[in-house]
Amino acid sequence: MSKNFVRLGLLSIAAMTAFTSCEDQEFTNQNVDAKRVDIQTLSPELAKVRDYVPLYAVIAHRGSTFWAPEETESAWRWAREMGVDYLESDLQCTKDGVVLANHDENLKRTTNIENVFSELVPTTRVQFYESLGFAHDDAVKQYERDIAAFRPFYTMSYYYAELLMLDAGEWFNETSLEQARPTFKGTQYVSALQDQIAYAEGKMLKRDANGNRVLTYNVKPEYQGMTLQEIYEAIKAKGEYNAKYMDFIEYHWENAYVDDPQDTGHRPGIYIEFKESWLNPGNMEKRVYDVLDECGWNIITKPASETAFYKNGKVNVGNTNGKVILQTFSFDALGRAAKVFDGKVPMCYLLWTGGYATDLLFTTPIGYADFIKMAQDNKAHILGPAISGAPNNYPEMNEPWQAWMIRKSGMLNHPYSFDTYAQMTKYLGYYNYGNVTEFDDLLRLNVPKTAYTTFSGDSNSVPVYLDGFFTNRSEMSLLYMIENGFRCNAKLPNPFHPGQTYDNSQAPSVVPDAVATLERLGY
Amino acid sequence: MKKYFILPLMASFAMVGFAQDFDTDPTVMIDNEKEDLHFTVGARMMADVAYYHSDFTPMKSGASLTDARLRASLTYKDWYFYADFGFGGGKFSQKNIFVQYTNKQDAGNHSVKAGYYNDPAGSMARNTSLGSYHFISRPGSTNALGEGRELGITYKFENNTWFAQQGVFTEDKYNSQEAGFNGVTVAGRWLYRPLNDNNETFHVGLNARYARIGGGVEYNNTLKKTLTLGQSLETFVDDTEQFVSCDIPWAKSTVDVGVEALYKNNKFFARGEYLFKYVAKERDSETLFIAAQNNIDAWGSIDYWIAANPIKDNKFHGGYLELGYLIFGKPYTYNNAEGLLGGLGGNSLELVARYNYTNLSNLIEGEYYSAGRDQYYPGGYMQDWPYNSAAISGGNIHSATIGANYSFNKFCSVMLNYTYHKLDRDKYSYDKNFHSLQARLLFQF
Repeated sequence: MSKNFVRLGLLSIAAMTAFTSCEDQEFTNQNVDAKRVDIQTLSPELAKVRDYVPLYAVIAHRGSTFWAPEETESAWRWAREMGVDYLESDLQCTKDGVVLANHDENLKRTTNIENVFSELVPTTRVQFYESLGFAHDDAVKQYERDIAAFRPFYTMSYYYAELLMLDAGEWFNETSLEQARPTFKGTQYVSALQDQIAYAEGKMLKRDANGNRVLTYNVKPEYQGMTLQEIYEAIKAKGEYNAKYMDFIEYHWENAYVDDPQDTGHRPGIYIEFKESWLNPGNMEKRVYDVLDECGWNIITKPASETAFYKNGKVNVGNTNGKVILQTFSFDALGRAAKVFDGKVPMCYLLWTGGYATDLLFTTPIGYADFIKMAQDNKAHILGPAISGAPNNYPEMNEPWQAWMIRKSGMLNHPYSFDTYAQMTKYLGYYNYGNVTEFDDLLRLNVPKTAYTTFSGDSNSVPVYLDGFFTNRSEMSLLYMIENGFRCNAKLPNPFHPGQTYDNSQAPSVVPDAVATLERLGY
Repeated sequence: MKKYFILPLMASFAMVGFAQDFDTDPTVMIDNEKEDLHFTVGARMMADVAYYHSDFTPMKSGASLTDARLRASLTYKDWYFYADFGFGGGKFSQKNIFVQYTNKQDAGNHSVKAGYYNDPAGSMARNTSLGSYHFISRPGSTNALGEGRELGITYKFENNTWFAQQGVFTEDKYNSQEAGFNGVTVAGRWLYRPLNDNNETFHVGLNARYARIGGGVEYNNTLKKTLTLGQSLETFVDDTEQFVSCDIPWAKSTVDVGVEALYKNNKFFARGEYLFKYVAKERDSETLFIAAQNNIDAWGSIDYWIAANPIKDNKFHGGYLELGYLIFGKPYTYNNAEGLLGGLGGNSLELVARYNYTNLSNLIEGEYYSAGRDQYYPGGYMQDWPYNSAAISGGNIHSATIGANYSFNKFCSVMLNYTYHKLDRDKYSYDKNFHSLQARLLFQF
């Protein structure tokens, strides 16, 4: 019996030894767990589209909010002339189905809408209908229907023609005193997607002798001769979206622009965001697809013939298959975009953490890996995590382990949004004061010097936690990228194709003065 | 008053006639024969050491003083009073405190018991004192689905063949719920013992329990009651229930049904239970719908609101089988009065094994689970404003334990358990396998 007891004791000791010899984790260490979870990698088809996007892209966030009224002609013309790679925007839809750019859920912050309209349906609405040739009684009945679906100051409640009455520049002068310019007042309009594309193409708005925008419109041919009641019924019968959208007006975008005399030849792409799904009709993604088609910017129907992102010191992204990048926080928009664009246009899924319905609630390696998988399953090629730092103080979602997971997945990492030199320094090499970390296997980059770099030695070995980024200080960001060898470099290592180099040596090597550029553009 | 200590043998009186949380024999007794008073005092200490190995989420290995208990009882003629109090974890906790009256007849004993003590339908395992248990922890299924102590009154009849105990309880012994009624429970346990003598016992049994859940919190002008079920990984050193647990909102009542069987002879025992719990729900949807009409995006009708906020009754189940083989020592005992297996006695050594299964998940086919949000999506994909899911994902777990217990004498014993758990829960998709090696030092008198 005692023999059995001894055997049992020995067995227990052996079992304990076996257990304790394992590399056990005594606490939850995200740096360790990031390398323990399964990370779905991008399919070859999606990786091919990912490579449409230039590495280390500088994305002018809303056109660069620091210097000019966001998402207006002034901001985007300026960003284009500074030499950024992308003009960024947030897309919403008007009552008549025009896709326009506006960041907030309503127009109160970035326009003078509260001074122009009351909280009710514009009193000019009936006259607007009558100006289109509709009878008074018919117009009044439609006005009553408009009341039922009205949300004050939301884009969905107004015709684009009505929104042209708003001033999208004056507010900037009141909130950015140092950057205020008298010329912003009364000259800036709420921009349509067609406008943004036109600016990227080197154009500007056509204006009359008084400086007012020239944009003609009429009732769409298929609705001409019908009453508003009949149009309402016809749109409702289509079932495409809620009949609060009265998409019966056509705008003559083809005559809305002129060549910009100040254009110096940069051709940036556009980086357009589908906002929260409840702000837009259910076919928003298809509407954007159609606008891109009409403008010749849909690479699915019209693939680009050029591949060089930069030519002769000029940005050329807008002439390549990387000319359009889609982005969203919305699960609904991501899923619908996957169906409409089928992963053939670069798509970025944006990450935020907090209490909203689309937020990543568990910013753990498991949660992060889950969202990487979800994004890829919905044919996204890029992740856009929030970053910390003043002045926005967003939650940090691009820590080294998170950047490592994104890189491991084969997706591009486009964090948002950069406002300071310190932020650029942090994510471009000095997050851990540049020290070696366990994530260097994928993130450390040996940047060769160029004629423009300011670091000493033949190269600079730094961990890099992004592949492109949204910036509100495009001039500062461009200069940083050039001086640190991420731009204008013929021999950058390509982290997505080990052993290969990435050549962006043809990118503009001089960053124009920000103020002088505004003045050159007439502001 | 004359006081003296008598030998443990005399304590068999209490063992047979009265129930208590310690079902070991009281050792320290004070008798007053003139007044026919019998007073006992006792204590218990458990110290555990455990080593855990998990696939992903760490557990805290180490040692812990898992139980420290004081007990006292008083017997006066047919009346019996018992109380014990816990100090484990450095905190006072209310354990048993009850009074019992027993009327002994030839056909059997009739008892009425009132106070705070184990619900007879709480499961055979939960009614067995941990001090007499043959494993370091009770089976997980009984911790998740069974019940423990409640404040109430029961009537019991038992003889050599039959055992029947039934009564009424309330949930919160201090009526300290934030709002609402205290709750009421009707419960009973019934055993049939076709074989029951000094050497061999076999019993089969049924227990049932209906509870109208009490308490709750005020929520949007309604009373919201949430039932929480969970179990640890059959251990006390790290007794987290995070791996197997669920919150069940809007619980109105529960119906528990269990079946049990126990066989023992002098050298061997086998016992097992199956537990089933049905949770019925109730919600004032109309009031909640009205409360939701607070913004421009509110639901248009109550039908839409209900469709988006489904409510569904839940069913959970689990069970276990335990085996023990005595290598040497005092034969296994059976407590007729409680219908329970006794603990290891004297200088003894036994080997034990157990299998347990607990299912706390009510998933809905076709739903999509997001680990980044720990949320189920009824549409099958992630949506900005999805309908809420009625799924409950508390986890499924299989647990297998082998162990050896050695008692030096009737007071002091050591226990050694190895347990393997296999977990299936979406929230812990990387935690499939758990291993634990535990040892316990138990001293009680």
